[in-house]
Amino acid sequence: MPKGKERDAILSGKLYKLSDAISKFVHSGDHIATGGFTTSRKPMAAMNEIIRQGQTDFIVEAGPAGSDWDMMIGAGRVKAYINCYTANPRFSNVSRRFRAAIEEGKLLFEDYSQDAAMMMFHGAALGLSCVPVRMMLGSGMEKEWGISAQQRRRIDKLPNEKFIIQDDPFHPGEKMLLLPTPRLDTAIIHVQMASPDGTCRIYGDPYQDVDLAIAARNTIVTCEELVSNEYIRREPDRNTIPGIAVSAVVHVPYGGHPSQVYGMYDYDKEFYLDYDQAGRTDESFQRFLQEWVYGTKDHEDYLNRLGVTRLTDLKVVPGIGYHISDEDVAEGETI
Amino acid sequence: MDYTKSEMQADTIAHMIGPDQVVIVGTGLPLVGAIMAKKRVQPSCTLIVESGLMDFNPTEIPRSVSDLRSMAHCAEALPPYRYLGFQANELLKGSKRLIGFIGGAAVDPYGNVSATCIGDYYRPKVRFPGSGGANGIASFVNTIIIMPHEKRRFVSSMSYITSPGWIGESGRAGTGLPENRGPLAVVSDLGVMRFDEKTHRMYLAGYYSSGSPEEVQANTGFDIDVSRAAVLPEPDEDEIRFIQKIDPKRIYLLK
Repeated sequence: MPKGKERDAILSGKLYKLSDAISKFVHSGDHIATGGFTTSRKPMAAMNEIIRQGQTDFIVEAGPAGSDWDMMIGAGRVKAYINCYTANPRFSNVSRRFRAAIEEGKLLFEDYSQDAAMMMFHGAALGLSCVPVRMMLGSGMEKEWGISAQQRRRIDKLPNEKFIIQDDPFHPGEKMLLLPTPRLDTAIIHVQMASPDGTCRIYGDPYQDVDLAIAARNTIVTCEELVSNEYIRREPDRNTIPGIAVSAVVHVPYGGHPSQVYGMYDYDKEFYLDYDQAGRTDESFQRFLQEWVYGTKDHEDYLNRLGVTRLTDLKVVPGIGYHISDEDVAEGETI
Repeated sequence: MDYTKSEMQADTIAHMIGPDQVVIVGTGLPLVGAIMAKKRVQPSCTLIVESGLMDFNPTEIPRSVSDLRSMAHCAEALPPYRYLGFQANELLKGSKRLIGFIGGAAVDPYGNVSATCIGDYYRPKVRFPGSGGANGIASFVNTIIIMPHEKRRFVSSMSYITSPGWIGESGRAGTGLPENRGPLAVVSDLGVMRFDEKTHRMYLAGYYSSGSPEEVQANTGFDIDVSRAAVLPEPDEDEIRFIQKIDPKRIYLLK
């Protein structure tokens, strides 16, 4: 089998090196969203590569965000941030660069409820213009617009209104809040298994990922395991993203680190705690980026810096479903 | 016996869950209480979270609502929009089996909770992560609010409501929110507060034997009616021991 680009070309037109996928499909100014949930199945290797390459001015539909978007805020790459929740729970109960950027008035941001964000993604995947819901009514999210109608008119990728409230035409006396659905340029998701034609298999909670893949103009998939198109078709009932919805597939083992990936590895607690400390000031955060992102040539270099034993120590214990020490396996006592 | 205020609070949370109740848990102290309910006090309850995990029963305390510790061995790991659909349909069906626990930075006399910011929304003194699932829960589901009992957290008015409670004295009328859903109680580390049926205003219903109604008033940033307050029963020793075992590294229980 040939190596490198030649090999990739033979396998499929969709199989890319991470750097090539990011440079081809992620552009400055993109309206962009990522899969995963706070500290779970986040496409962190792809985020690192974007930071290395320099794309900026993103219009971000952050969803349930963790350090994926906190990093991007800290690296100065976000033009408008659509927030519903940004934290690495129990490591950083509020993501620190996100918090600092808002407190210092340096970030254009908007707040929706998380359920609203999920409905906006789902509506987008269904090709709907908007989704009527009954939440956010009576709350600060109704009263305060982080991004005003005037500012929205200057950002063509954002809808002109945060939402519209009107009477429910089918249920007199009831109100509904119309959520505009995003028209995404780019989605980036990290999955357990994919094949070269883009077919994806997600184990565990799919979160918003399937909706993003269907909705976005371009979807980049990074995968823990790359399998053949024939192999992934042996159990079609387990596949949830069709290859025809995917623009690029990249084989990135441990591409979710430091987040956890169901069935494979747990979150790297030490890494998240270090990240939390680093986020305390812009200066220490930039040092962190220098060490772990700019200072690593690519994802392979990043993994080598982490070291093999650090990664094997994160492995999910079969039957338990998360990582526990050998001693705890031997003891066998749980609550 | 020896127990901390937050262990007592977790035990109180566990006992607020009724038979066959479906409980939206989130993270924080309610997770300790809910796991306690599922494993010891009220095993017929079903625990769900906003990431879409249905009927989970973790063997180690989870850190987030998407944690592998909740995902492993749950009944279904649904996309979050399914969770929201379930929540909204329970309301349409008039079902009352759903109950949600929510936390935040502060609560006002009408059970409105802030989890977004302190101070000006655009240039806040302190910014928090944002709503997460709390706003949807507060909108559609009867809730129990969990809050450390401090003056700066029990505030007389709220400039930014993340999770609507009873809004004000006239309740939710005119907001578009369902008028028959809202906060049932606040569980703090000093006691249990409920809401007056007519005025929707918070009053002290019960206090822990380690404290007093005076202590509750002194740590509340508004006038709170303590005339209906009764002392709460002492916790069961076995239950406290089990609570300590649920969160041995004290991720959520205070030291």
